[in-house]
Amino acid sequence: MTLGRYITKRLVEIAIVFFVILTILFLLFRLAPGDPVSRMVDPNMTASDVEALIAQMGLDRPIGIQYLAYLKSVIKGDFGHSLHYGEPVAAIIWDRLPNTVILFTSSIVLAALAGVFLGKVASWHKGRAADSFLTVGALVTHTMFLPWLGLILIWVFAYQLGWFPINGMMSEEIWMKPESGLLLKSLDIAHHLVLPLATLFLIHFGGYLLIMRSSMLETLKEDYILTAKAKGLEERVIRDHHAAPNAALPVVTSVGLSLAFSINGGALTETVFSWPGIGRELVISVTALDYPLAQSCFLLIAAVVLVANLVVDVLYAYLDPRIRY
Amino acid sequence: MMVSTKATAETPDLYPPANRVRAIAQNWSVFRENPLGRIGLGLLVVFCSMALCSFIPPMVDPMYHPMTGVDPHILSSTGPSPSHWLGTDFMGRDIFSQLLAGARVAFLVGVSAAFMSILFGTLIGVFAGYWGKTIDALLMRTADIIMVLPTLLMVLILASLFGQLNMWIIVLIIAFFRWPGVSRVIRAQTLTLKTRPFIEAAVISGASHTRVIFWHIMPNVLPLSFLYMTFRVTSAIIIEASLAFLGFGDPSAVSWGMMLQWVYKTGHMFRAPYWLLPPGICISLITLSFYLLGRAMEEVLDPRLRGEHL
Repeated sequence: MTLGRYITKRLVEIAIVFFVILTILFLLFRLAPGDPVSRMVDPNMTASDVEALIAQMGLDRPIGIQYLAYLKSVIKGDFGHSLHYGEPVAAIIWDRLPNTVILFTSSIVLAALAGVFLGKVASWHKGRAADSFLTVGALVTHTMFLPWLGLILIWVFAYQLGWFPINGMMSEEIWMKPESGLLLKSLDIAHHLVLPLATLFLIHFGGYLLIMRSSMLETLKEDYILTAKAKGLEERVIRDHHAAPNAALPVVTSVGLSLAFSINGGALTETVFSWPGIGRELVISVTALDYPLAQSCFLLIAAVVLVANLVVDVLYAYLDPRIRY
Repeated sequence: MMVSTKATAETPDLYPPANRVRAIAQNWSVFRENPLGRIGLGLLVVFCSMALCSFIPPMVDPMYHPMTGVDPHILSSTGPSPSHWLGTDFMGRDIFSQLLAGARVAFLVGVSAAFMSILFGTLIGVFAGYWGKTIDALLMRTADIIMVLPTLLMVLILASLFGQLNMWIIVLIIAFFRWPGVSRVIRAQTLTLKTRPFIEAAVISGASHTRVIFWHIMPNVLPLSFLYMTFRVTSAIIIEASLAFLGFGDPSAVSWGMMLQWVYKTGHMFRAPYWLLPPGICISLITLSFYLLGRAMEEVLDPRLRGEHL
């Protein structure tokens, strides 16, 4: 099977899974106690207002028709209006998505790179001080409670030392001033990004480090490494060019497998740091009982996880020539 | 990603049913060799005693009750003192007794959710592996779908729809979302077991499906299930704590996540380090202890990993 056909096949699978998730969400929202209207009605609405709302949402129609209408609007990209903001859901999501992508992608990629590098170092110094330090450090940071780690970082670096802003993504005084240029604005965002990025990075790199370390130890037992040693190659060459690339493959797999876990962490980080992203929006909308927004945020996240898993698999095939589709 | 850190997915060799006692003794000596495993076990003993001690403070004086006890002389957050070893929270409740009560909740949620998820995971994995074909495909596709859903966010959505969730519902939901990982591993193990001569022998001598599954296959996959249970405990504790931190925990019991939420929501974050530090340290350390325990057990089950610890 060629790569193109493989991707097509996977995309079809993803579409099916996404459809199943859509259906489950639809059923959940209908199964929940009370009808959707009673959950969003506020006390000073009159009976005719309520009826108008029911008609507007199409809730007076049979459930099958409602389901079809729901699917149609999702395909058209129409996710309804947020009850909390009163704006179209799609607009809110498009506004928040880039912020999440910046924070999440940069921290996961950095954590994976650091994990691979430090795992390599740890395995190379197996049993010595460097290994102990790195392994124990990885275990401790990896098992820290994420929101708490975030609060501690804020407390130390933002409150006590004052090096970084306490929360948010941009400072108003810079963005309101017309003369501040693009560079200043991006530096401002970067300044706000440091602590949330550090939080996600610290939680994740340990896991990747531990995987890389044990994978390296496994690889170093292979015959081809012995051959390389027998050829008299430099240790550094063996480590960096012969062992590490193969040993790093499980890390790639693990990034994909742990994505659902990482996304939980991303939502918590955004909440703690008031970073205006999708995860925080989901938490807020759930608290404010803003169902259309909560549902759409969740769907988007599920879609991203599905597609990211495909990307990881394709990347894996690219990195490991033994895997062919 | 609280999963096994082992690089390869190969299934380890397991002990034959005979010589169980000797095997346990051997396993214990392998476990003892691992310093990090010993630390994990030690931490766990500490948390267990905390959970047991949580019954004492309210008996000493009702003002030490973690939820309803208020020190009438304080009524606000103060630092550590002889009568309140770790200080009091925003309404004058004793932080130390809350911490002890939190240990009880963490164990309750962690262990029961983990137990249920490995129960579902093991049964589903064995059935899928044993019967194969349509049942297998159906169960594993379901597992694939559940695996991509971020558990915490899913519980949040459910909490918003069904209102305040009580602790047992939370446990059930966590178990429901965490079985697929276990069932995949158990299924793979069942597939290799199915081809072993002793299973064939059992089938030829007329053993029923039930007998083969529960008598011959189960004992051989259970060690793996228990290994996964330790990793599931960590993820269950984290999910419950996160949920409570976001304000969706069971309001009838004090948990560590809830304590953190109170610090955060009442604006004591910068003023009361004596209150901010303990619950976070406890959540992190209990997670670490189960994680270390799991890694040490992994080494017991998989001889190839031995001697690779620190």
